[in-house]
Amino acid sequence: MTLIGTSVARPDARDKVTGAARYPADLVRPGMAHAKAIFAHRTHARIVRIDSTRARALPGVLAVLTAADVPYNRYGLISSDQEVLCSERVRYVGDRVALVVATNADVAAAGAALVEIEYEDLPAVTDPLAALLPGAPLVHPDLATNLLLHQPIRKGDVERGFAEADVILEGTFTTSWQEHAYLQPDAAVAYYEGDTLVVETAGQWLHEDRRQLAAIVGVSEDALIVRYAKIGGAFGGREDLSVQTLAALATWKLKRPTVLVWNREEAIVGHHKRHPFHITTRWGAKRDGTIIAVETRSVADGGAYASTSIEVLKCAAIFAHGPYRVPNVATDAYVTYTNNVPSGAFRGFGTPQAHWAAESMITRIANALEIDPIDIRRKNLYREGDTEATRSVLPPGVSALPVLERCAAEARARFEPRPPADSSSTKRRGLGIASGIKNVGYSFGYPDQSTATVELIGSARIERAVVRIGVADVGQGVSLILRQIVAEKLELPLRSVAIVHEDSAQAPNGGSASASRLTFMAGRAVHAAAAAAQANFNARTGTSATVQFRPKPTTAIDRITGEGDPNYCYGYVAQAVEVEVDITTGLTQVLRIISVHDVGRAINRQQVEGQIEGCLAQAVGYALTENFVSREGAILTPHFSTYLLPTTLDMPTEIYPIIMELADPQGPYGARGMSEMPLVPFAPAVAAAIYDATGAWVNDLPMTPERILDAIDAARERLTTAAAAAVP
Amino acid sequence: MFPAAFDYLPAHSVDEALAALLKHGADARILAGGQSLIPAMRFRLARPTVLVDINPIAGLAYLREENGALLMGAGARDFAVEVAPFIKERYHLIFDAAAVVADPIVRQSGTIVGSLCHNDPAGDWGVVALAARAEVVVRGNAGTRVVPIDDFLIDSFTTAVGEGEMALEARFPTPNERTSGSYQKIERKVGDFATAAAGVQLTLSADGTIAAAGVAIGAAGPTAKRVVEAEKILLGARPSIAVLRAAAAEAKEISDPIADTRGDIEFKREMAGVLVYRGLLATLKRLQQGELH
Repeated sequence: MTLIGTSVARPDARDKVTGAARYPADLVRPGMAHAKAIFAHRTHARIVRIDSTRARALPGVLAVLTAADVPYNRYGLISSDQEVLCSERVRYVGDRVALVVATNADVAAAGAALVEIEYEDLPAVTDPLAALLPGAPLVHPDLATNLLLHQPIRKGDVERGFAEADVILEGTFTTSWQEHAYLQPDAAVAYYEGDTLVVETAGQWLHEDRRQLAAIVGVSEDALIVRYAKIGGAFGGREDLSVQTLAALATWKLKRPTVLVWNREEAIVGHHKRHPFHITTRWGAKRDGTIIAVETRSVADGGAYASTSIEVLKCAAIFAHGPYRVPNVATDAYVTYTNNVPSGAFRGFGTPQAHWAAESMITRIANALEIDPIDIRRKNLYREGDTEATRSVLPPGVSALPVLERCAAEARARFEPRPPADSSSTKRRGLGIASGIKNVGYSFGYPDQSTATVELIGSARIERAVVRIGVADVGQGVSLILRQIVAEKLELPLRSVAIVHEDSAQAPNGGSASASRLTFMAGRAVHAAAAAAQANFNARTGTSATVQFRPKPTTAIDRITGEGDPNYCYGYVAQAVEVEVDITTGLTQVLRIISVHDVGRAINRQQVEGQIEGCLAQAVGYALTENFVSREGAILTPHFSTYLLPTTLDMPTEIYPIIMELADPQGPYGARGMSEMPLVPFAPAVAAAIYDATGAWVNDLPMTPERILDAIDAARERLTTAAAAAVP
Repeated sequence: MFPAAFDYLPAHSVDEALAALLKHGADARILAGGQSLIPAMRFRLARPTVLVDINPIAGLAYLREENGALLMGAGARDFAVEVAPFIKERYHLIFDAAAVVADPIVRQSGTIVGSLCHNDPAGDWGVVALAARAEVVVRGNAGTRVVPIDDFLIDSFTTAVGEGEMALEARFPTPNERTSGSYQKIERKVGDFATAAAGVQLTLSADGTIAAAGVAIGAAGPTAKRVVEAEKILLGARPSIAVLRAAAAEAKEISDPIADTRGDIEFKREMAGVLVYRGLLATLKRLQQGELH
């Protein structure tokens, strides 16, 4: 074994740094038609009339397309409830109503300004709690309800649990939208190669994109190719289609190459976000810290279209009590349609929101019982063989406890004891810790699979290999990981293993680059294909083997009880952070982060560390700076000057990515997925550190300076009231 | 977004620049560091049809002391101020500000005079110039004027520089050894627009009372603001916590910010007071005043 665990340098790094790498917007060629999408900029309205006469008359405008031009005007990853171009009704500001295609981008924009669209505004619902009330305006009237899913989970007897509890605490928590903010805004080019329609773009799942796009333009999947250019990050934001549908439509309609590139504002308004959640939760514990009952009601804002909402909600539901063995659980999770921007997949997929409440609550219970926050976690964390709230046994390889112990040891070694508070300073330091759990791979009975082909070439012995597997290298580096695995298996130098992964016609379906699943799933697929090809190697004819890998099957969870076997693999994380809070301005700086991950096996250590550090930047933004503001459906933060992403200068100089390698029984060389994990418990770790520094709990994400100051004021008030009450 | 089309005219002398400005009138803008102008053009908030680049003009990037003042030429960069040892030693207010303007990349290019001319409501240098009682040298066809900073900053993105004129130099009076200052700013992230900012400069007399006071706040209205009432309270007073609090309260009083994602009006007004208080405290500490009571 030489290649596994080696920090082989990324082959794409140099091109990305020098600018030679070609992202979708770099694929524009002279002579291509340029398309401009017309957004609704209405929260909820009926389309009364579209008049494109003046736009069509503009020299250089080739076409103005509307719903009538779309062969099959429905798409969506799970349920096809979204229209490529809206026909009768717009449901949020980012809905697309018409597409202007012109000889160049300036003419397309000028043409778009000439399209007259008359709307009749409809009553809108932008509050997910209000959306559930009787009489609320319906986002999809044909469904007769705004409720997308109610997922209950019941285990044990929660009332008996609370009756036996020595301490019961309740909390209400909210989270907001988060924008993926990938480097390259949505962009696609489409053209014909012979009779085949080719869409070159960035995405997360070639074959799923192909399925939806082929349906829209009414061709067979064989007649459409999806190719991925370099992908400037995705984070779940490219799971749903956006510009690809429009570029494909224009090219199919006009039979000429078309390009559509969104600017940042269009990308922010046009694609889905992380779900905002409203969570009320009640925790009961025995005096020794044993958690015996957790009752949770959470409501998520799904926005105007279904996207992946129902799956996100179920993930949030099964982790409503965090990574803890709780005998009595009652969870009711709801996700609703509203006239807000759609919510969907985003790194963590519902688990950061669930942990925001759960990890805050367990620390509060510890404080109430005067137990160390590490001890209470040690007592309650999942062990091997434990049963989840879904009443199924956890997939083998439960490492929550060793991960926490390592985190505690690292924190003791790396965090200095807190300096005594300087009364003349307004700065206060505090430490916080949190644990986390997140599924690796697709859940709830989805028939997850990954298919790979390995071709072997050689005269007397195997000299080189070609790996074919359709997977998105979104920047995480999966193409190198898969080559490392095959080279290791075949005992070939890395340079002798090539990979073809970015063309739906040249490689089989490796599955989605999501749910931290590709190292695990595609890793197993290429390993098995390499083994099969090796076993049948024939130098004369050449050898090729195609293998579909399927993990341990999962099941759907019951619609009433939540009973089921939802997942085949979990990742475990624990984090310790040190913060400094200015108690006069509320400004909070994260000073140090320890992020401990059981990755089973780090196939490429440098890439794992890169994933941890990059994900932590997104986590710092989620916890503190990224405040996505939407008022009555209008997005008030559509630029990076108002939606504040942390940069290198905002990150702590001390980040310790700690990699543990407790082999997963199913993963390739023991590897399990990890790329979402740093986001899962980070915000509550910061909240606990802010509490440690100030005595104030913040309940709402992001923790802006104003919210922190308000929490400090409220904590002071409580102290004063308590002191007053203590006076006889 | 790309800027609207414009012509680019490199100037090799001040006269050449002035001639270009005179010829193209209001359609022309001077390009110095470009750190405010270019983003404004990319958002199409500014659409000059001619850019007169003054970077090729030799000898415009000076920082020197002359006749009791620090002179900063129109080409002087923030970064040059940040690393000049004599500024760190004597011009405490200016040094503080130079280290927190935007981010390090912006400071490599951005100029002090350019920032004053841009006059962004959240800009740093207007606040510093008010507290330090700076002047700006403006030249046009009719000759050269020296404009006190109070008359120079007129409104958001508007200054006393008229059509066909350019600002050549900023002048900051050299502080004596009983003078110090401080610049305080809070921002949501490095390089973000200020949530609130304050600049303070004090001169103590031999008896320990305040002989001169400059107090200004930023991101608190259409342009940087002098806190006149705070200066009145400080002038002649013996420094004390009560005096500092009273001065800070005046800053909060006149702060008139806009609500945005960086904070609501109440929060930002509160912060104006907090930062003036901190600035005064830091200044007195630098002047080695003992514990205040």
